[in-house]
Amino acid sequence: MKRAVLLFLFPLLILAQPEFFGYFESEASTMTIGSESYTYGFNKLRLDVEARPNDNVLIGANVNFQKYWGKTTWNVYDFIPGYQDLGLVMNFELQDTVLLDNMYMRVSLPFADITVGRQQISPGVGYAWNPTDIFNTKSLMDPSYEQTGVSAIRVEVPLTGRFTIDTVIDPEEDWESSTKQAWLNGGFGRFDLSVTMAEYTWYQFPLSTGTYDFGFKIDRVLTGLSLVGEVAGVGVWTEYATNTLEQNIYGYCPVCTDYLLLPLTSPFEEWVVGLDYTFESSLYVLGEFLHNGNGNAEKSDLTLNDYFMAFEGTTHSLMQDYAFLYIMHPTFDYTTLSAIVFANLNDNSGVFSPMIDWNAFEDTNLSLQGSFAWGEDDTEFGLQDMGLILTVTSNF
Amino acid sequence: MKRLTVLLLLGFAFSLHAQDAIAVKVIKAVTEIMTPENMKSTGTQTITTSSGKERTFEFDSYSGNKGESTLTRYTKPAAIRGQAFLTLNSADDIWTYFPRTKRVRKLASHAKKQKVQGSDFTYEDMGGGDVFTTKFTPKYLGDEEKNGELCWVVELIGIEAENPPYPKIKLWARKTDYAPVFVDYFNEKDFNTKSLSLTAIQDIEGIPTAMKMEMVDHKERSKTRMETLEVTYKWEPPKGFFSERNLKK
Repeated sequence: MKRAVLLFLFPLLILAQPEFFGYFESEASTMTIGSESYTYGFNKLRLDVEARPNDNVLIGANVNFQKYWGKTTWNVYDFIPGYQDLGLVMNFELQDTVLLDNMYMRVSLPFADITVGRQQISPGVGYAWNPTDIFNTKSLMDPSYEQTGVSAIRVEVPLTGRFTIDTVIDPEEDWESSTKQAWLNGGFGRFDLSVTMAEYTWYQFPLSTGTYDFGFKIDRVLTGLSLVGEVAGVGVWTEYATNTLEQNIYGYCPVCTDYLLLPLTSPFEEWVVGLDYTFESSLYVLGEFLHNGNGNAEKSDLTLNDYFMAFEGTTHSLMQDYAFLYIMHPTFDYTTLSAIVFANLNDNSGVFSPMIDWNAFEDTNLSLQGSFAWGEDDTEFGLQDMGLILTVTSNF
Repeated sequence: MKRLTVLLLLGFAFSLHAQDAIAVKVIKAVTEIMTPENMKSTGTQTITTSSGKERTFEFDSYSGNKGESTLTRYTKPAAIRGQAFLTLNSADDIWTYFPRTKRVRKLASHAKKQKVQGSDFTYEDMGGGDVFTTKFTPKYLGDEEKNGELCWVVELIGIEAENPPYPKIKLWARKTDYAPVFVDYFNEKDFNTKSLSLTAIQDIEGIPTAMKMEMVDHKERSKTRMETLEVTYKWEPPKGFFSERNLKK
């Protein structure tokens, strides 16, 4: 079904006098963990194509060409406190990719906007975390980075005033395992409100350990809301979701030819509160707090499964309580100084990440981002020591 | 003697009243010109920083409901292509759209005074609507030549309860057709922070339209030149045009 939609869209896109644009991005990183130091990076070319056969139809697509260099094979256990020195190996490899990331057609009718195909879907009002977003997980080092496309059908229906109904269906083999999410969006006064409900398969991926293959599946229902507005001139927002378990968990280990029984996760709540303010001096400050009921409050309760779910992005955080701070100031001509600080409040670890971003030429940016971690060696962020990322991005 | 004093006072009061009437008339006419029912335009925005570096942006701009609602979408350069912002209720409500993340973000009112794309125009400047008549008390200062035109000079004092964008504004409108040609913006310390010069005024569909505007920031020593390439006032916004839904298109 998904492939048929993409095959249908491709010739349409070519025939509709498309515009080409995109960017080239080159990133070089170095990271120190304990006594080990690693260098790695990638070169990425994103090519976007967009065509508008008429005012009511938009066809868009993008292909990402990404080539990694330096250290491309990583042992997952190197990032799990307490497992680094056990000699266990579970490698994952950063493989060179050519990815058709998005390919969609959007038809604007008087009564609805309909988008079919692989498209970016980014719900929620939180900056660093989005409890109501079941499609993406953000990187805390760069929460505003683009997200991967989702193959879906999206229908946005305007109601009266600022109210709309938005529905997304990400079809799978059957209706049961398809992801379904709907939002009722509206506004009153200085506030925008959105209530949402989703039914989705929460966790489904093959995980190769080199020796074992695992697969897990949990069907869940999410009910949530987002609220954004201002109080006394300060931007405020909150995003809340409650997740209930719909089906049981299963897992299979082909090597040991046995089903694995995983601890059942109970219904949980997840919420974010945030605020932002821009001072007269153009200093911008944003703060956010996350509580994820699905995470563990004690680091001693963490299991391997918790780490795998956090690495995969299945859950928005490893533990329960986190804080995020972003400060930015356009200090010099076309040069912005900023800093991100995020902390795991349960294990008292965190990262301070200062950054300088220079718009060297009209479409070319250079940025240098450092990261300095704190916390004990057996904590989520304290495990790393420091890192440096140099990025060059040129848009065309 | 008493009678003379009364007559003089009456004359003075009448003169003040007449001056107020001129100020109100000028500001009303200026507002009429600056807030047409609807407008659709394309333009360029060139920012020159204090060190002389230049960046040029291109954009499509729409306004409706006498300037109360605006939508601006950048088309160039490539780095910001597709970025857009929507202002409603004379910029009391602002939403921005980032195509890279496909996210719409609602900005709180603290952002109203922020520079749009690093320019010398704020969101409030771009989506002002009828603020001159609703958030200021006008005072006629006399006639003066500005930009080669004989102008009415009107001072606008912000009404504090209305939360005006600037505490004081001084405006020059040419006497022939009330087209504004120059505006000075002042801060709380009565310092002239920014000046806007409106030139190349053309009659477009019966409305005198400044095809070139230059905002100079005296504090930052930067300037932003906005040039209108195409403009029409005969455009009718489709239903729901000024909405978050349309912002994402």
